[in-house]
Amino acid sequence: MSAVDRRVVRALVAHDLTAVRRTPGLVVPIAALPVVLLVLMPLAIAVAARDPTLDVGTYVDLVPERLAAAVRRYPEEERLIILVLGYVMAPLFLIVPLMVSAVLAADSFAGERDRGTLETMLHTPVRDRELYLAKLLAAFVPALAVAWLGFAVFAVVANVASWGIMGRVFLPTVRWLVLVGWVAPAAAALGLGVMVRLSIRARSAQEAQQMGSAVVLPILVVAVAQASYLLLYPVATSLAAGAAVWAVAIALNVRGAHRFTRDHMATKV
Amino acid sequence: MDGGVITCRGLARRFPGGRAITGIDLDVQRGEVLALLGPNGAGKTTTVRLLNGVLAPDEGTATVLGLDPWRQGDDLRRRTAVLTEHAGLDDRFTARENLRLAGRVRGLDPRATERRAAELLERLGMGDRADVVVRGFSTGERKRIALARALLHDPDLLFLDEPTSGLDPTAGRRVTEMIAELATTQGRTVVLCTHLLAEAGRLADRMAVLVEGRMRASGSPAAIAGELWGTRTTTVDLGRVADAQHIVAVAAVTGTSAVEGVARGLRFEGADRAVVPAAVAALVGVGAEVFGVDTHEPSLADVYFAVEGAEAVELPEVTR
Repeated sequence: MSAVDRRVVRALVAHDLTAVRRTPGLVVPIAALPVVLLVLMPLAIAVAARDPTLDVGTYVDLVPERLAAAVRRYPEEERLIILVLGYVMAPLFLIVPLMVSAVLAADSFAGERDRGTLETMLHTPVRDRELYLAKLLAAFVPALAVAWLGFAVFAVVANVASWGIMGRVFLPTVRWLVLVGWVAPAAAALGLGVMVRLSIRARSAQEAQQMGSAVVLPILVVAVAQASYLLLYPVATSLAAGAAVWAVAIALNVRGAHRFTRDHMATKV
Repeated sequence: MDGGVITCRGLARRFPGGRAITGIDLDVQRGEVLALLGPNGAGKTTTVRLLNGVLAPDEGTATVLGLDPWRQGDDLRRRTAVLTEHAGLDDRFTARENLRLAGRVRGLDPRATERRAAELLERLGMGDRADVVVRGFSTGERKRIALARALLHDPDLLFLDEPTSGLDPTAGRRVTEMIAELATTQGRTVVLCTHLLAEAGRLADRMAVLVEGRMRASGSPAAIAGELWGTRTTTVDLGRVADAQHIVAVAAVTGTSAVEGVARGLRFEGADRAVVPAAVAALVGVGAEVFGVDTHEPSLADVYFAVEGAEAVELPEVTR
């Protein structure tokens, strides 16, 4: 196995990140989804919670009993905020980075082919491993940034908007920090592992995205949607779940690295 | 390396669906320009990929710049450059940024890269467009930027795929002169893939013709012509119809054949160029006035069309 030149990887990652910033077709969906889900949603919930006519109990009764019991421990006026912002929103912090990494991975591998830049890259001295690692990082770093920055903004907005009712900082909790700091990156890596493989096989970025969004990603989204429940269990459970997702993600990415050879890529150009 | 920049024997690569290239033999010396010719889909791009270590061969051996392209591909590609047919520029970046990335991934000093990029872009007539985003550039402009990028690290060996296609005549001439200078003055070796046979004829010392994934012929155009046609026709302008004495004199020169009179002189077949001065001397010896000699040297284009049209089995391969 050849060594990796970090300067080369850094140069490629910096190039790809700049390219993402300059591509409205990528920036808009990546930015819009977190803004709607992580900023506008907590604002709306905070506003709704002030409505004295709102019957929160009806909503609490609809959720699984374990979650409902956790919510009922809080004063009635706090329950909507705790239910939605404290629990129901949790899966979004896994789904958003997963989707962001998947979109970027599809663009960075198959997109090189679409733009006609892959062949030129293959004729440079960049090693296969360097190219692969750079492409992974160029998709993973923004996904992580969106997840962490999104959570920071979410926590601030949620606390500020709900201050009138809560009267305290209720986010983040240790469980939330584990979820966002440990499980969310694993979910992003999982999306990356899946999309990289599809992207290497696909003839275009569009085909890779179609393959991903039609079959594989929905399954992953359903799986990570169970994340709300992680907040009901001890922190160790979240750590274990994150470790399991990391294990699958690493296995997928390592296998992808073995399949990513110049020869293989050149036959797809 | 002994001056041999590319040596390959029996290179072959098969692809799913039956596509393949087989039996690629090449010898290219330092400072030579090799025209790699053939119709679309003949296997030129695959050959370049094999020689630059991007594809692995199923069979055969190759040494390029003294390195094994597949086992030492990363080292080899530091010393080679490839200009692909479609330029391969990232549309979202400026010309200078495209060159900057190339410098970084090749580990070049950033300041030296900036200087060299500016110099090359200027030289190729793109200096005033260096900081404009490439999207919207014409084919010719893209080609020139891609050529600047290819020359950025001062490569020993260049693979140029249609370097002048899409260029206006002035830019095309500038690029052609640059390629000639790279080979003759700087000793760079160039493998030129082109459909422009006149350009190949001007630049190439040797040619290799690929047809349907097989190498039909390789060598100097003159050597291949000799293999193809055996003899060459020479016409001598005597200013009048040749008489019997003239015909007998030329026929007596060793190596000539099929001597016959034409409107303003005579014509004969010769095994090689050496018979021409001997035939002229014989004519002068019998008192003829020689106004001109046309040796009908077959052009690279003549040779190419003859090779492309020939059945592979009928054409002996020329290696030098």
